[in-house]
Formats: sequence, C-alpha cells, structure tokens
Amino acid sequence: MAHHHVTSADIPVDGERLVSSKVEAVKRIAGYTSLLLSLISAYLLFGAKPNIAAPFAYSWLFALFFFFTLAAGGCFWTLLHNVSNSGWGTSVRRIMENLGYVFPFMFIFAWPLLVPSVQQWLFEWMNTHRAAGGAIFEGNIGSLFGFYGTDSMEQALTAKHEALLVNKQWYMNQFAWYARFFFYFIGLGLVIHTLRKFSVNQDTDPNPTTKNLFKARFHSTYTLIIFAITITFAAIDWLSGLRYDWFSTMWGVYIFAGTALNSMAVIIITATLMQRAGYLKHVVTPEHFHIKGKLLFAFTVFWAYTGFSQYMLIWYANITEETTYFLIRNTGDWNTASIALVFGHFVIPFVILLQAWLKKNSKTLSIMAGYTLVMHALDHYIITIPERSVSLYGMAFAGDKRLADFLNVSTSVPGAFWGDILAFVAIGSGFIFFYLRALTQTATYPHRDPRILESANVSN
Amino acid sequence: MSTTRKRVYGYLAEFGSASALYKAAEKVRDAGYRKWDCHTPYPVHGLDAAMGMKRSILPWFVFCGGTLGLLTGFFLASATQTEIWGWIPGLTKAIESYPTVVQAKPANIFTVPAFFPIMFELTILFSGFTTLFGLLALMKLPRLNHPLFASRQFHRATDDAFFIAVEARDPKFNQEGTRQLLEEIGGKSIELVEEED
Repeated sequence: MAHHHVTSADIPVDGERLVSSKVEAVKRIAGYTSLLLSLISAYLLFGAKPNIAAPFAYSWLFALFFFFTLAAGGCFWTLLHNVSNSGWGTSVRRIMENLGYVFPFMFIFAWPLLVPSVQQWLFEWMNTHRAAGGAIFEGNIGSLFGFYGTDSMEQALTAKHEALLVNKQWYMNQFAWYARFFFYFIGLGLVIHTLRKFSVNQDTDPNPTTKNLFKARFHSTYTLIIFAITITFAAIDWLSGLRYDWFSTMWGVYIFAGTALNSMAVIIITATLMQRAGYLKHVVTPEHFHIKGKLLFAFTVFWAYTGFSQYMLIWYANITEETTYFLIRNTGDWNTASIALVFGHFVIPFVILLQAWLKKNSKTLSIMAGYTLVMHALDHYIITIPERSVSLYGMAFAGDKRLADFLNVSTSVPGAFWGDILAFVAIGSGFIFFYLRALTQTATYPHRDPRILESANVSN
Repeated sequence: MSTTRKRVYGYLAEFGSASALYKAAEKVRDAGYRKWDCHTPYPVHGLDAAMGMKRSILPWFVFCGGTLGLLTGFFLASATQTEIWGWIPGLTKAIESYPTVVQAKPANIFTVPAFFPIMFELTILFSGFTTLFGLLALMKLPRLNHPLFASRQFHRATDDAFFIAVEARDPKFNQEGTRQLLEEIGGKSIELVEEED
C-alpha cells in the first residue's frame, strides 16, 4: 500500500548478487561442521558395534528425509511456478530454484542407504529377500535378484510363508528399489539443474528474449510427473518400507503435503533474512509475504486433511496390517507426541495464520514459518523413530545375537536421541552449506525476466 | 412537473479512466469524507486502499459462525454416539437411550476422530452461511431501488464510465464545497442526484 511503484529504473541492469563476508563465513562454518559430523556419523554407521550402528541408522534416515523433503519442495515450487505461468512469484523464484538445487546434493547424505550393512537394520524385507535369494544363488548376487517375474524368488518367499512379500514383489524387490533410488536423484536432479540453468541464462543473455522463460515453462509440464514420482515413491521406499506389512494409500500425499508446506517455510525465512541483509529491497513487498503466507496456511490445512484422512481410513477399516502404524504411535509417550502434533501442526498454526496482518509482516510470518519447521521435524520424528524400537526388539527377539541389548527396550531406545541430534545437525549444516552455495552462485532475483515489474508491483 | 418532494442524495461525478478515478479517490479520502463510494465497470486493484477503506468486520462473523458450526457438529455427533451430554437435565433420558455401537467401535469421548468429518462439514456450512448472510446484512441487501438510479448517466457505470458518488449525509458535505472539490480533482458532468422522498 505504502510501497512505491517500482519501475525498471529501480532494477539494476546487472542484477544484484548475494555477496557478503557474513554469508561466506556462515557457509564455511556450516560446511566444516557438516564434514566433521558426517565423518563421525560414517564411523557410527559403518565402524561402530551393532548396538550403536543400528539405532543410528534410524537417526540418519530421519534427518535425511527431513532435509530431503525441504530440497524436493524447492523443486516443487519451481516447477509449479513455471507450469502455472504465474507472475507474482518472479521476484522470489530464484530462491525456489536455489532451494531446489540443494536436492541433487542430498545424494551425498543419502548414499549410506544403499549399503546393505545399513539396510539390514532399516528394511527387514530386504533381509528376507537376501535370505531367500541366498538360497537360490550363492553369495550376495542372489540378493539383487527377485524382481518381478523371477519364479525362483517367489517360490523361496512362498516357502517361508511370506505371503505379503510375494504379493508386493513386483514393487518391493531390491533391483527395483535400487533403480528407483538412482532415478530420484538423477531424474529430479536433472530437472532442477536444467530449470535453474534456463533461469540463470536469462540473466546474462546478451540478447534478452523470452526464449528461456518459455522453455522453462514447457519443460516444467511433464517433469512435474518426475517430481510426483520422486516424492511419492521415496516416501514409500524409505519410510513406509521400514514396515513392509503396512499399507496406506494416503502416504505419498501426506508426505507431499509436509514437503510443500515446509519448503515454503524455508523460502519465507530466506526471503526475510535476505531483505534484512539489504537484498531484494525493491522487488519483494508485503504482498509477496501475504501470498506466501496464504500458501503456508493452505498447505497447513492440506497437511491436516491428508493426515486425518489417512488416520480415519485406517481407523474405520480396522485391518491389523494397517492399524499397526497408529498402534505403535499411540503407545506410551508416542501418544503424547502424536496429540501434540495434532495441536501443534494444525490447530495452533490454523488459528494464527488466519490473520492477514500477520502474513503481510515478514517478521511475524517468519516466526510462524520457523515454528512450522519445528513441527515438521516432530512430524518426521514420529514417522521414523517409533519404528526403531519395534524393529530392533523384533530382530533381537527373533534371535539376532548382535542386538541382544534391545530385548530390554520398550517403546523407545534409551539414549538414542543423541544420535538423532547428531545426524540432524550433520545433514542440516550440509543443507545450509549447499543452499548458501547455490544462493551465492546466482543473482538474487531474475532481473531480466519480463514479468519482474509485474511481480514487484503485485497486489492481492 | 413533478409534485413529489425531493431530497438531495449527493453528488455524482464522472472520471475519464480508472487511474484518474484512483487519484481522485485518494483526494476525496484525504479531504476526510466518509460516506462516499466509487462505481466502476470492473474491479480496480488497490482502489480500496485509495479510498482508505477499513478492513471489513465480516471475517469475525465468519469466525464465530465457523466456531458455532464446529461445536454444533461435535454436539450432534457426540449426543447420538456417546453419553457425555447426559448430565444436562432435560437431555438425560433422550441421550442415554440413544447411543449406538457401530462396527464394535467404542462410543466415548475418545471416539472424537469419528466426529471430525461432521464437525468439519458443519464448520464449512455455518461459515458459508455467515459469509453470505453477513455480507448481505452489511451491504443492506436485498433492496429494490437505489437513489443513484435516478441519474441518467449512472447506467454507464456498468459500461465505460468511472464515477465517484459523495452522499449528502456525510458530515463534511455542502453543496458548494463538495462540488468545488469534485471539480478540482477532475470530475466531469457533475450532477446533484435527488431522490424522491
């Protein structure tokens, strides 16, 4: 309202770049912290005894997926922005692109999941497959086989009375699992890399046209499918796969809702911090924060909607294989955490984010965005960690001598939360490093985009 | 010659374009008028800010309506499924004879997730109704006629003209001063609209 009308005279010809010694220092500290803690984590994952390595594998998965969703969400907002041909967000589009550009680098933290010595604690179905495969082929080679169509694997699983694994074999087999794993990072990584390149090329194009813009718009259409596949199947492979006998048709949507919500929270916080540091002064206005706040609000409701739908479908159907998920999470202290999630992730932000003045103020909106991220961490903690005590107890009970310590464990593993914090900080500081690296590589906003003035003067 | 008494409704002034109207609206606002309005063929972005309009009170009505719907939904569902409302004297008998056990699910306060869909639907329904009827009440609709329809040029507000109408009931209104202001800010074909009393 009070904002002055932005004209092309306000937009620097060469754009504005995020260059400051403070950013460099933060980037360097984050990089070294991540390197150091990742080395410790690598030791805990691969060098330590099973009673430390096994719980820490779950810590690593929890932290990995939290930041995986944030980076994947950056890809989502870039794709959505391009494909919907929207003008309002042009001035914050570079933040979305740079957040998405962290995604390919998440592979650095994700590769331990490829290693069988880590997988054996997380994915019990792989152990069954390996055992069955080992009976057919000698050694490790057998474990990779068993994708759809191999009768010998099916027979081996049938002989072990693993009816669910037989029926799920077309999806849950190691060959397909590995193929999908690489597809996520290569597929969506190429998508975001290319889209960012189109956008950045426009900044320095000696003959500025809308060519890059139209190319980005066109290629965003079908690549949105790659994003949908990545977030849905990664959620099923890595999180839902922790418990192969569990079904949920809402799972992919549920994880996606949290992804879109919290990457928007990161975008809001980044835009606020950059404005406070003196960047984006002319192009980002309270109107932008209002729109982003509305998206934050919308996805808060969407998250609750999917979360509740999943709960109620399972609750009403009352099938043993399905209810197990909520039984674990409604036992002991996890019940308190689940109820806290309902209020903390939905009721409180719903009432607060209803207010328009709060969404227009970058500071109050950033506080809410930060709060949402904390709730997202709680959400993912409740998704991943309760499975740890159940699985490790189960394996120990089934006779795994290496896990004898876990026979005393009830709903949670005592002391294992230190590992959760360590993994979270290790991957989190790596995330900050790659995010700042991407942000400092490009101009802070696409200053040659033909819609930048429309975006700067947006009113809603 | 008409024999009915006339009462002054106010001034109607035409402006050439949306941007002229926008700038004129800012000046009328700064002059301190309260009872006045703009009439345009299409929505003009930011005009509410130029007119200095306050935020509507409607969201609060909707919030109260939605909350009422939420509570109504909870009451209806829980009254027919559980016994928690049995302590209300007049309801005791009706409620205690009503609870139904569906699919062997327990029927107590912990069944609340089963009520969520009903609570949600009634929240939406009540919010929708308060929005509609609150809006109609605040706009004093429906009404059969409006004094501005007496103006011969006013029908162009739905076609190609931009108008500002300053009402006579505004405390700052006076026949000379207001006309002068409208002329100064670029109003054309200024007309004193009279309504039949």
